[in-house]
Amino acid sequence: MATEAIWKSARSANGTRRHALAIMTPAHRKRVRTAIRVAALYLCAATVCLSAPSSAPVFRLTLPKGLDFTLQNSPTSLKYLIETMPGGVALLDYNNDGLLDIFLVNGGRISAGRPTNFDRQDPRYWNRLYRQNRDGTFTDVTKEAGLGNAGDENYGMGVAVGDYDNDGYPDIYVTNFGKNILYHNNGDGTFTDVTAKAGVSAGGWSASAGFFDYDNDGKLDLFVTRYLDWDMKRNKTCGAAVRQYCPPGEFPPVSSILYHNRGDGTFEDVSAKSGIVEKKGHGLGVAFADYDGDGFADIFVANDVVEQFLFHNNGDGTFTEQGLDAGVALTADGKQLSGMGVVFQDYDNDGRPDIVVTELPHQPQTVFHNEGHGMFSDQSLHTGLGILSGTTSGWGVGLEDFDNDGWKDLFIVQGHVMDNVEKLDSALHYLEPPLLALNHNGRFEPADVGSTTPIAGRGAAFGDLNNDGWIDVIATTLGGRPKVFVNNGGKLHWLTITLRGTHSNRDGFGARLQVNGQTRFATAAGSYLSSNDKRLHFGLGSAETAKIEVVWPSGIHQTVNNIHCDQFIEIREPDKP
Amino acid sequence: MIRTSMIRTLVIRLMMIRALSVLFVFAQASPGSPDRSPEAAQHLQAAVEAERRQDFENAIAEFRKVTGLEPADPTDFVRLGNAYMENHQYGEALPALKKALELNPTLQKAEQLLGYALLAQGYAGEAIPHLEKVGQVGALGIAQIQTGQASAAVSNLQAALAKTPDDLDLLFYLSQASEMLAQQSLDALTAADPNSSRSHQVRAHSYYLSHQFPEAEKEYEQALMLRPDVPGLHLELGEVYAASSQWAKADEEFLAETRLQPGNGEAAYRLGDARLQEGEPAEALKELERSDLLRPDMSETLYSLGKAAALVGDATAAQRALTRVIALERESPLAAQAHYTLARLYRQQGKRQEAEREMQQFHRLQDNPRRQ
Repeated sequence: MATEAIWKSARSANGTRRHALAIMTPAHRKRVRTAIRVAALYLCAATVCLSAPSSAPVFRLTLPKGLDFTLQNSPTSLKYLIETMPGGVALLDYNNDGLLDIFLVNGGRISAGRPTNFDRQDPRYWNRLYRQNRDGTFTDVTKEAGLGNAGDENYGMGVAVGDYDNDGYPDIYVTNFGKNILYHNNGDGTFTDVTAKAGVSAGGWSASAGFFDYDNDGKLDLFVTRYLDWDMKRNKTCGAAVRQYCPPGEFPPVSSILYHNRGDGTFEDVSAKSGIVEKKGHGLGVAFADYDGDGFADIFVANDVVEQFLFHNNGDGTFTEQGLDAGVALTADGKQLSGMGVVFQDYDNDGRPDIVVTELPHQPQTVFHNEGHGMFSDQSLHTGLGILSGTTSGWGVGLEDFDNDGWKDLFIVQGHVMDNVEKLDSALHYLEPPLLALNHNGRFEPADVGSTTPIAGRGAAFGDLNNDGWIDVIATTLGGRPKVFVNNGGKLHWLTITLRGTHSNRDGFGARLQVNGQTRFATAAGSYLSSNDKRLHFGLGSAETAKIEVVWPSGIHQTVNNIHCDQFIEIREPDKP
Repeated sequence: MIRTSMIRTLVIRLMMIRALSVLFVFAQASPGSPDRSPEAAQHLQAAVEAERRQDFENAIAEFRKVTGLEPADPTDFVRLGNAYMENHQYGEALPALKKALELNPTLQKAEQLLGYALLAQGYAGEAIPHLEKVGQVGALGIAQIQTGQASAAVSNLQAALAKTPDDLDLLFYLSQASEMLAQQSLDALTAADPNSSRSHQVRAHSYYLSHQFPEAEKEYEQALMLRPDVPGLHLELGEVYAASSQWAKADEEFLAETRLQPGNGEAAYRLGDARLQEGEPAEALKELERSDLLRPDMSETLYSLGKAAALVGDATAAQRALTRVIALERESPLAAQAHYTLARLYRQQGKRQEAEREMQQFHRLQDNPRRQ
């Protein structure tokens, strides 16, 4: 029986571990049981019922040939805050050859004599686009793509990817300390800087950004988080015996920016009229999902040491910040989170998007479970993250089904903010290995990530790099090469779906997909400063066929039955009935 | 080590307390005493008047003239010494006060002022006999801290505090003396057998306090190897693991402690809290309820109990525990957390008004600087 899968580790009276029925609130238990029954129905309707144990995901840490990027964050003794915050990475297929390419954001040079010139014309400080070749190697195509010099006054931070003009080619938006840049993909392997025309340069210190369609008009809009009201001249250091980066509270908060896509290649800054500007924070991460099922994408902003923001989309072009009411502004103890990265997906297969926020030590990485009716509950301890993350610092994060068992697992890139933190607390570390935690019926258990090498991890993007049906990870490290965690795979089945919007935006961002009882919300946003493979991946366990239900942003419902496992498919949005 | 400036501050304060009585005593000695020469009496009168005006510079000048004219009167030297001390010239006060005692070794005021002056100058060892003679136990205790007589210092400072229990300076020095006494005991313990279980425990605790957790772990493990049945060792090692978020290991140690000491409410609380961190609220709840029975009305236990009860769906127990936390803590950060947790609980139950009320209290306490 599928319901037996709910057994989990617990303790006997004498304190030793035993397996027992999961201890959950009655409502939670009911939800999980319902989800499992639904999943079981679908799976048993397929050729084979879910019975095989989940395969252990084993990554192997690699540096593919040709991927010769180094993230130049240029740390100095003056502890400029920007030094410890980059950088983003994107997985995108910029030339539509079916292979994921990699875009990496670089920091810049920081020199005491010229603190506002980051030498971005020097190729060492360029952002880089690597085209994947058929043999799995990469070729640096930055120069020919026109993506080299990102502006001497711009220190790089993050990247967002989306096809804002629905021409079938993904465009790239780079966030900076300085001015942001929108690169239009010309479809011929080159990009054009269209920032000025588009009107999306923002300014100040931008962090994560993401494309989404907040008004369901079929055109991708753009949300940009901003971190601090800070500049190089106003930097200061903290700490007495040990010089440290100052905490964000030392600098004034700022508001995020929402750009509405007019559809003519230009955007309108609607931050004020949408209500986004009313909430100032220390935004670092952003993710989108329709948490209350009203058909409009909502926004979660991970803030560093202030309340987290949940902007509820009112459906009329305005947003209302609901973090506190919804229970996601603070931890279960009413404490502020050092929010860094965020992912907004359904971890427990109850059909509702949950929120995972990564943060600094002394708090576990936080899981806000979506209880329905616009309410969340902090389930960090209940899901096992208390044991996994008390002394670590989380940044890039993904909820992906790495072992294809039908449950989304957690991958967090880690590393403390301060490069000298060991001098203050021997339990904390600047360099940390990433965390991989497998999802066993809603509880996360540690697993072998394939490398114990500690890194100063920051950005992370998730996708199927080698198109083998198993999700891989690329992480950025301060001062170092990117780390590529290639999934060694296993025997369980999978399905990867590309959405082709016709009434909705072409990427289908914002669509809600249900496959054999699992739910995903179509987006490339999330993690930290990064952009994920836009394709939607589902682990199917032992099931060989799948039933797919899509709710498009246009409101169109679509069902596709009996899709065979282990393939990449495209689902095209049908005409309105 | 206590800084001399701190002692001077205290001496000034003690002197201010006693200044009125000293002046009163001196005022009894009439400048127009039949034994004095008219010139000395005139200077004495001027000195006393200057002293009343708190013009200590002039008082000192006049008293010096008096002692120059009549160098055999010990009380005049006491007055001169007192004026110097009022003017914070402790070093200059010393010869005058010593001269007074030379002339009359029974003069209590001279003993007292000389003790203070020596202490203010950092001559704690020399101050002690003078302070002992006049029974100035507060100042004596402070001097004894300086000379490393921690046990005697604790005793004398406690005696002084019995008379003025709210004296912040004395409380401060008592804490210093107690700390010193504890350290001396630990030093003696370690010196007696540096490889004993207790010596390892002492070093482990020291490492723990300085956040050197791996070193603390090693020392506790060695202590436990030598004496696995010593109460408290497992608890302390568990706390080291908890501080570095190694909850499974912490759990094992707390569990071992509860087996060793089933009546220890602290161990039960720690075990319950570890299990809460491990995501096992039902198991946590059992231990926290047991801890609450063993050691009722501990706010931290009740807060964790409330959280665990909420997680297992027992809203009534959660509300009861959290409400009790608020009653016990009132304005503290823990009370704020309890208000927030209650607000979330009420909101989940659809009790919007109650939730709003608790959230308002939460915000009020967050905005209240006193809770910092």
